[in-house]
Amino acid sequence: MTLDPETFEAEKYVEYFPKLQQAYKNAFSRMNEEYDSTLIHGIDQAVLNESEPFYEGDGEFRVELPPNPHERLDGVVVVEEETLDAVLSAYTEAIRAELRRVFDVQ
Amino acid sequence: MSTESADGDDLRDRISNFLRRNFPQIQMHGGSAAIQDLDREAGSVTIQLGGACSGCGISPMTIQAIKSRMTKEIPEITTVHADTGMAAGGGDGMGGGNVSPSFPGETSGGSEDDEGPQAPF
Repeated sequence: MTLDPETFEAEKYVEYFPKLQQAYKNAFSRMNEEYDSTLIHGIDQAVLNESEPFYEGDGEFRVELPPNPHERLDGVVVVEEETLDAVLSAYTEAIRAELRRVFDVQ
Repeated sequence: MSTESADGDDLRDRISNFLRRNFPQIQMHGGSAAIQDLDREAGSVTIQLGGACSGCGISPMTIQAIKSRMTKEIPEITTVHADTGMAAGGGDGMGGGNVSPSFPGETSGGSEDDEGPQAPF
């Protein structure tokens, strides 16, 4: 399929939503195997719930995370700031990779 | 407490139907996407979405999708809040479950068919 940024933006929560969910789910599964499950669940529910994916063209996606992820996890899971940053970075990369795969734009 | 007037039921029904039609996975999840609060004046609705989590098939993006689409499809609604039961902003977090089981015979809002057959994915 040919994907363009405008169509993705317009349809990401409608036409493309199942694929979007699939990509997030795949990334979640991958991360859950590698990292602490409580942390991954926490990130999934408290941080990614306000993340926003964008397609930038040329087979590249961008995933914007909400500000203050550490505060968002406060009371959910205890984690060092540096650890969280590293895991978030890996998680974001996993989502981008899965988006490329699911939308077949590699 | 709900802040709706007696004629608020129509809007409530439309929100319920919107969710049922577009996000059946919420229903399947056993998560009756309960409309927790509806403020017609402010055009805001709060939806209880227990445990939206990729691990159980509901991606966290569901909330984003609901926000994005509901405000488009239901013009009266301008703001959607989703309460996922997480300790967002220092709630009582774990163990502070406010789960209220509903008993057969107890009708809450009179939806008569909340357990229809579910289409598989």
